[in-house]
Amino acid sequence: MKESVFKNMPIIQAKNLGKSYPFYKKEKGFGGAVKSFFARKTELAHAVKDISFSIEEGEVVGFLGPNGAGKTTTLKMLSGITTPSKGEARVLGFEPGKREYAYQRQFSIVMGQKNQLFQDLPPIETFAFNKDIYGIPEKEYQETLAELIEILGVEEILYRQARKLSLGQRMKCELIAALLHRPKILFLDEPTIGLDVVAQKNIRDFLKKYNQEHKTTIMLTSHYMEDIRELCERVIVISEGRLIYDGGIDKLIADYAPYKFIKVTFNQDGAKKETVALYGEVVEYNQYRVVLQVPRKKARQVAADILNGELPVDDIFLDEEDIDAVIREIFNKNEII
Amino acid sequence: MKKYFTAITIYWQRALTYRFSIVAYRIGEVTETLVLILLWTAIYEGQELIRGFTLEEMVTYVLMGTLFSVATRNFGTGLIAREIKDGILSTLLVKPINYLAYDFFRGLGRRTFVSGFSVLSQLIVMLFFLDTLILNLDFKTNALILVMLILTLLIESLLSYLLGLIAFWTDEVDGIFETFGRIRQFFAGGYFPLSLLPLTFLQISFALPFAYSFFVPAQLYLGKMDFATGVKGLGVQVIWIFILYAIIQFVWKRGLRRYEGIGI
Repeated sequence: MKESVFKNMPIIQAKNLGKSYPFYKKEKGFGGAVKSFFARKTELAHAVKDISFSIEEGEVVGFLGPNGAGKTTTLKMLSGITTPSKGEARVLGFEPGKREYAYQRQFSIVMGQKNQLFQDLPPIETFAFNKDIYGIPEKEYQETLAELIEILGVEEILYRQARKLSLGQRMKCELIAALLHRPKILFLDEPTIGLDVVAQKNIRDFLKKYNQEHKTTIMLTSHYMEDIRELCERVIVISEGRLIYDGGIDKLIADYAPYKFIKVTFNQDGAKKETVALYGEVVEYNQYRVVLQVPRKKARQVAADILNGELPVDDIFLDEEDIDAVIREIFNKNEII
Repeated sequence: MKKYFTAITIYWQRALTYRFSIVAYRIGEVTETLVLILLWTAIYEGQELIRGFTLEEMVTYVLMGTLFSVATRNFGTGLIAREIKDGILSTLLVKPINYLAYDFFRGLGRRTFVSGFSVLSQLIVMLFFLDTLILNLDFKTNALILVMLILTLLIESLLSYLLGLIAFWTDEVDGIFETFGRIRQFFAGGYFPLSLLPLTFLQISFALPFAYSFFVPAQLYLGKMDFATGVKGLGVQVIWIFILYAIIQFVWKRGLRRYEGIGI
């Protein structure tokens, strides 16, 4: 592995990045359509308002946010598909919007809903074309291809028309096409969208393994929390075009989950609902098992109280709120920051 | 450079997956040629000469002109429009490749079989009109026509690319393409020889790039246009290549700014 120049410097940097799109407003109904045919009102939509972050080489960063939060737009700015309307992006020392070949040879972007594979041809043809586009030496190409084919287990579909592949197979091939030139940075926009659970897991496992072996910097957006939880130690959360959280997943939960869950099992005759309700909000109840939701700060005390009380406790367990719920929580109240 | 040649071979392969369509389209083309010949034969009933054309000359005009036109045509417009509309362009923009050059070379690959089949089917039609068809084997004239057709090929590539770029501004491009196609066909002399019209039309069409795909080479072939005028035509074509290239550069930059802006 070559010594990187970016050892002491962030590989990706975004400073006060912003992007506004003009769009046309159309009034309701046919009358509105006629009106807007003659005089259209242009307005600005601020897809990304002000986002700053920096990412070090080898990091895998999850990019979270509800639909329309500006995730895809940010990835587009970092890959040079669109240019920022304010602020600055620096990736590998380049300004992505300039689309310099020297930069383009060092990264890849995979968009779950846009194919780079030639649909009428087998994937191997797209791979061979990318070899020439990126000027990959024959030997390196063969090695990389063999390695990727093996980890992803796609030998038998390489010569099948891309159009006829399943969504999961197609995504695997999209990943191969994106990784042939051994990019230093990989941007993934919803790489598992529409895939079934097994296919999702395959892609996830692959990305994990690939990152461990090649130290590729990965930035990914996903709707599936499982992707983020499995792959990323760090998450950046954006909402309505602004960054609202940047840090570890664990801390995200600690900071934003207002509740903990106390799971108690009872022996003997169990416990009455009225009795357990005294300790906190009952989320699940049967005679022998109860889940209580309690404010995070009080959780320890409540657990101690339950143990010291008169309930026939067999086992007690303090659990964190589910990360999906945490994220939902964050997005529901927008007063944060 | 190698990547652009690979684009040719990729599109060869792609064309082969559309074998049936390629043959099917040719049936329509051949029918059109036959209808035109039928029409002229009916018009010439009882007449020797129409505006200086004998029936033999008119049939030759239709057959040779169509041959020239199908050999140089380019249908790349729709492909570009689709790539822009569907955002496929994004996957190309992030790669170290030039889109215009890529489109030109894949166009060569894309058209090899289509044009090949078109030329073949027109040649077959000609076999049935050997009695009527006028043969011109003058080397100088034919060489001039060949150079003219090579320039036409380039112009058609640029034109189809430029038209495709309209998709940057509107999703509804089919109407524009269709209308443009018909206007071009008229000024190319594809419906009937432009010399049947008042001189003004002829002068306008000389200044436009379209007549060099049909009317001008067909007239040269028939000896109805002198060599010097043909050479002048080459000059007009070269000027058009520069003009189109400049317009493309301008439109591409503006379009891309919009593409980036809208974030298709």
